[in-house]
Amino acid sequence: MKTKQPAVLTFLIILTVLSNVLAQDPTPGSDNELRFFAEKIEPLLTSHCFPCHSHDANEMEGGLTLDSRSGWANGGESGPAVVPGEPEKSLLIRAIRHADENLQMPPDEKLPDEVIDLFVDWIRRGAADSRKSKTPINDDNPLDWWSLQPLSRPNLPVLADRKKLYGAVANEIDAFILKQIQAKGLAVLPKADRRTLIRRLYADLHGLPPTPAEVTSFLSDPDPLAYEKLVDRLLASPRYGERWARHWLDTVHFADSHGCEHDIFRPNAWRYRDYVIQSLNRDTRWPRFIREQLAADWFYPEDSKLTPALGFIAAGPLELSRAGTAPVTFDYLDRDDIVTQTMAAFASTTANCARCHDHKFDPISQEDYYSLQAVFAGAGKGDLEYDADPKIAKKRKKFTELLSLATGSDKMKLPTAEYENLISDWEKKIRNNPTVWEPLLPRSFVSSDGATLKRLDDDSLIASETRPERDTYTISATSSLSRVQALRLDVLPDDSLPMKGPGRCDNGNLHLSEIKVFVLDDDSSKRIEIGIKQATADWNQQGWTIAHSLDGNPATAWGIYPKVGEAHYAVFELTEPVDMKPSSQLVFQLDQHHGGGHLIGRLKLYAADSDPRVATVLPNAVYQAIKKNPIERTDQQSTAIAAYVLQRHAEEQLAKLPKPVAVYAWSKLYSHAKKLALPMEPKVVHILSRGDIDKPGKVAVPGALAVLDHAPGRFDLDDQADEASRRAALADWLAAKDNPLTWRSIVNRVWSYHFGRGLCDTPNDFGRMGGTPSHPELLDWLAVWFRDDAQGSLKQLHRLILLSETWQRCARVPNSNPAIRESQSTDAQNRLLWRQNLRPLDAESFRDSILQVSGRIDLKMGGSGIQQFTQSKGRQDTPELDYDGFDWNHPSAARRSIYRVVWRGISDPFMESLGFPDLGLLSPKRDFSVSALQALTLFNDDFVLHHCQVLAQKLQAEHANLEQQLTEACRLIMLREPDAKEMAWLVDYSNKHGLAAVCRILLNSNEFIFID
Amino acid sequence: MSISRRTFLNTIGGGFGGLAAAHMLARETVAWGGETNIQDLNGGLHHPAKVKRVIQLFMTGGASPMDTFDYKPELEKLHGQKLGPTEKPEGFTAAPGAILKSPFKFKQHGESGRWVSSVFPHQAEVVDEMAFLMAMASKTNVHGPATYMMNSGFLLPGFPCMGAWISYGLGSLTDELPTFVVLPDTKGLPYNQKGPFSSGFLPAVHQATIVNAESDDPVPHLFANSEFSFATRAADRDAFDLLKRINARHAENSGEDSLLDARIKSYELAARLQLSAPHVFDLSKESKATNDSYGLDNKVTRDFGRRCLLARRLIENGTRFVQVWSGPQGATENWDNHGSISKELPPIAASVDQPIAALIRDLKARGLFEDTLLIWTTEFGRTPFAQGGDGRDHNGGSFVTWMAGAGVKAGTSYGRSDDWGYKTAEGTTYCYDFHATVLHLMGIDHKRLVYRQNGIDRRLTDVHGKVVTEILA
Repeated sequence: MKTKQPAVLTFLIILTVLSNVLAQDPTPGSDNELRFFAEKIEPLLTSHCFPCHSHDANEMEGGLTLDSRSGWANGGESGPAVVPGEPEKSLLIRAIRHADENLQMPPDEKLPDEVIDLFVDWIRRGAADSRKSKTPINDDNPLDWWSLQPLSRPNLPVLADRKKLYGAVANEIDAFILKQIQAKGLAVLPKADRRTLIRRLYADLHGLPPTPAEVTSFLSDPDPLAYEKLVDRLLASPRYGERWARHWLDTVHFADSHGCEHDIFRPNAWRYRDYVIQSLNRDTRWPRFIREQLAADWFYPEDSKLTPALGFIAAGPLELSRAGTAPVTFDYLDRDDIVTQTMAAFASTTANCARCHDHKFDPISQEDYYSLQAVFAGAGKGDLEYDADPKIAKKRKKFTELLSLATGSDKMKLPTAEYENLISDWEKKIRNNPTVWEPLLPRSFVSSDGATLKRLDDDSLIASETRPERDTYTISATSSLSRVQALRLDVLPDDSLPMKGPGRCDNGNLHLSEIKVFVLDDDSSKRIEIGIKQATADWNQQGWTIAHSLDGNPATAWGIYPKVGEAHYAVFELTEPVDMKPSSQLVFQLDQHHGGGHLIGRLKLYAADSDPRVATVLPNAVYQAIKKNPIERTDQQSTAIAAYVLQRHAEEQLAKLPKPVAVYAWSKLYSHAKKLALPMEPKVVHILSRGDIDKPGKVAVPGALAVLDHAPGRFDLDDQADEASRRAALADWLAAKDNPLTWRSIVNRVWSYHFGRGLCDTPNDFGRMGGTPSHPELLDWLAVWFRDDAQGSLKQLHRLILLSETWQRCARVPNSNPAIRESQSTDAQNRLLWRQNLRPLDAESFRDSILQVSGRIDLKMGGSGIQQFTQSKGRQDTPELDYDGFDWNHPSAARRSIYRVVWRGISDPFMESLGFPDLGLLSPKRDFSVSALQALTLFNDDFVLHHCQVLAQKLQAEHANLEQQLTEACRLIMLREPDAKEMAWLVDYSNKHGLAAVCRILLNSNEFIFID
Repeated sequence: MSISRRTFLNTIGGGFGGLAAAHMLARETVAWGGETNIQDLNGGLHHPAKVKRVIQLFMTGGASPMDTFDYKPELEKLHGQKLGPTEKPEGFTAAPGAILKSPFKFKQHGESGRWVSSVFPHQAEVVDEMAFLMAMASKTNVHGPATYMMNSGFLLPGFPCMGAWISYGLGSLTDELPTFVVLPDTKGLPYNQKGPFSSGFLPAVHQATIVNAESDDPVPHLFANSEFSFATRAADRDAFDLLKRINARHAENSGEDSLLDARIKSYELAARLQLSAPHVFDLSKESKATNDSYGLDNKVTRDFGRRCLLARRLIENGTRFVQVWSGPQGATENWDNHGSISKELPPIAASVDQPIAALIRDLKARGLFEDTLLIWTTEFGRTPFAQGGDGRDHNGGSFVTWMAGAGVKAGTSYGRSDDWGYKTAEGTTYCYDFHATVLHLMGIDHKRLVYRQNGIDRRLTDVHGKVVTEILA
């Protein structure tokens, strides 16, 4: 690889290499010594030490392993365990002698003296030990593994004599495939016929069968490019995204509920599902797809409709019960899920294997793993609100910031110049049109709980006699105004009240829980509630503000303590002006639910017909400022006015915006921690010794795999507190051109869905425990081609694969051909791809195909999930679901399966029998396993039987005689007409059991369920 | 066993993509001399099996050890003293209260002299049949993860449970019944819903068949819903026949494939299942005396008793692994006795006690203990400290499991908890050791029963597990 490295980095690399050389195992020892070790020492180590210090037991107490020479030579947390030749300096000897109180091994019982003497003797003689390091990583060159090698484009293979080839070379893929087949001297199957190809293509790209008309048109298309055109047409169809989205959703274990003990619904998760469908349909380039899903907020802050991409991070399960009772464990395990998913999905790497110790097989350190955890330490899984319309989002952002400035401590930053007119207009209004408050005349006034309300001469009301715990006053009053825009409530002191009031509580306080106002016309018995936009008061008790009187929560209220014995007032601004007839009455309902006699003692009501912004109660500072002549005001006073006006303006503007929507995604408002102080600092992630929360080591910094040299393994961030920048750095690290894993990972994944198996058959693991590619050069060639030529376009990659001869080959042939028999016996697993693989329909395709052939499918796209079950309350937070209870006549039954609600822990038995995965874990590939119970499910499930009836009715409506009906059924289901023999069978069966029963057989047939 | 059946099993277990079932792989590597060797292992995979079938009884919520089988006189002495942790430990639902003695009387029973509290009078009579793990520990105090752990060996969702692993390892004993059956409490599913019976990443063929013991159609999908008038039994019979012809013609026309063949045969098995399954679920075939012995005549014991009896009928007819759950999720009507041990434990204990004793006697009388293992377990224990009045909080520190039947040294025990029953003191066993022991009895080396998933060779016992030979015969 040619990259320029700065001098410092080169120096570091040399240092690293040097230190590797120095750390190499010392010479193992002479034969004699080795025999001594093998006969005497090794058995002792195995029986006494391995239970706590070996890879096999997965135990590395104190970070020490004793199952290899390098294990004791490198030692654990306390340093090397053995110093050859120097038993007295060897920690091992100190430990087994129980010489040190803090270091006694084995901890429970001291070894016999003669055993200790053997160890001493062994070390004194030089500690011979021939055992190799347990980790298969080549310490000198940890990148010595196919998936970690730098990517470069292999040369196209030169094929031998072309005449010997059975298949043509349609494109580069075929050259690589045929090269290996030729090397084995095998024969290949021919290209499949058009009927097979169109069915296979539809199944592959859409998960649906073609209609008989589409088949006919393709079969009769004289254009030699007919197939190519079909590929392009299918890739351009929105059905493509619906089909391929599920592959990705499986890979990232996406479902619509938490899973685990409290398997609660995520009503907003579907927006991520729709995002994936849309991204695939618009062919979002792969690097961008990575960046959007990990950090759309950081990379594309202006494009708010990308927010659902962040649903990626929250796709997996959430262990809500543990979040409550074992929060520290929960935090680490929840991040573990995210790290596992991210690294497996994008880089086919099992970083999670390094949670308790350095990865045993791949060059991934524990520090790498916790660095990845640190990337995701800034938030959690929860609902994330956003505006899908970027214009709205922009407005919300603008006014939220304005509001925050106007109410914050640094008001000098307010953009007052921009709003100069707004501020001066307001001031003019308030100066030129002071509010005239007209006292209302109370006509009737009732206490709900037995107090006596009396009207005084000044038209105020006073409460006396019984003082209940709680009360509601209902007051009807009239006004001479023809229009009302604001109302005012005065609470007044009175000598008759405790502490002179204005409340009836012993301390003079009152609590107004809720206020409601209605207008009642004489000619109508119906009272209409008046909307109140906002309330302000001259004084608010701490924590008991006037806003509480409008929040609909009876537990909160407005109070005036400790300013008792004096008058206070509150102004209520109406949402809309209210027109008053002479006969109209205003009805006030004053709820005082707090208890303890927190009731209003004396009150008076007013109304005004002036701009509510003017009628409002000004905060004292603003009131004092406005009283002054502008030129006499201090800067502070001018700012107070500006801040007040801009606060009101921002609030009004925000109130006008449509409500934001939400997606279950990466959110500061976690599902399990609703009340968080914002803004929040990312949590501190420690490197946990053996993954144990009780053994926190040093603090991890955000990063990825240090072993790869395409980018720094620890991220250089301007601001560690900016958690989005951590995710963005990981996205950049993954999407980098020279990342050897990313490009191989995605081309292999796409390949696996086209052939039923990847070139590497472990799509989520390219490590030493994963598979090795059957065609490594092809994999690399595809990776480079996808990255450079196709510029990360999945559709171009599909096209290349689908146009290859390899993909178009037959999957089966009659067993008569001896050359094919040879291929069959040499490569029964078809690793060399001398044929296409026979593939079953997966759960979604089976279901959607039935909807299609029965003529019922509803191709409406997107939107909240379809619940194909009935739901009732469960014993805890998890509801009970009944899949049998669903009515298949319901219109939503006809929607495509991708829009189903997937309840993670309560799977749909029908889908499950066809291999729908358990989404507790990542599911990069589906299984299809045949069983009697599966047969019974396909044979008897309500969904299948219901649609047999639907199909039979459709056939009967469209065709007059039975033979036509049966022919059409076969054309729909098998894309062909039945032969004479089959027709005779079907007619016979239909005569006995009916047409729907025939449909049941055809839908259960191998010809329908398998794609050739 | 004919070649075609062998091929069929291979395909049926392996599914698509060339995976082979563990038992077939093992037969090829361990017993490559031929199928006769399999007989030598008595159905085992790696070594001779003593157990062919298992009934597991799972007490949902965390059955209290110190109020059932783990007698702690020390608690009587220290009752009421605040000696526990002062702050809420990770995983507790609340800060612990004072030491709480058991409200129940303990007595020694049987020749083994095992201490049993008064909540289990019936089991006390058959205590000599049992072998106890007295110091089991869990890695968590939280229901969800703990329930996963005792079933799948992992704290997280998505991993296969023991029943699925056994199905994967050993396959079926019969073609006429499902291999792995779960009988949840009719009041509801346990914690994690269907998670504890998941086949995880194993092929779906190893999935549990979840049986609703209250339903008229206990085996889902066995027959069509009666609203579909065209799907009669007669139509079924003719359909299986016609389907076979149509599928054969399909294979004939364009080439055979073992997967196609497997599906053809799966419908033949389906037809047989339709014949045999209803018979097994028909409890009227049992005598009144048997029904009564399981407590079917008593409201308290009827539900659990019926499910124990069904479990016996299932394994008798060839089901390999049956799991019977006591208690649904939640904090009531199960073993999660936070509120009051004295009030909440007796009713749930009474609901299982007589049926369990009857099951032991019945299995023994029918000779089923020759190759059947019975297990009683739970997800964790409870604190020796009071919660609220006289309730107890979750405690993964120590709890009790017992086994009875084939291969078990009856009347023994292994391990000991500390004097309060708070933590294990010696002979600690985890789910790994427990699972390793069950697999061992079935002729499986737990370290060799593996399935590679996302690059990791997964085992039921993760990277742990030691067979508890001390309780084996």
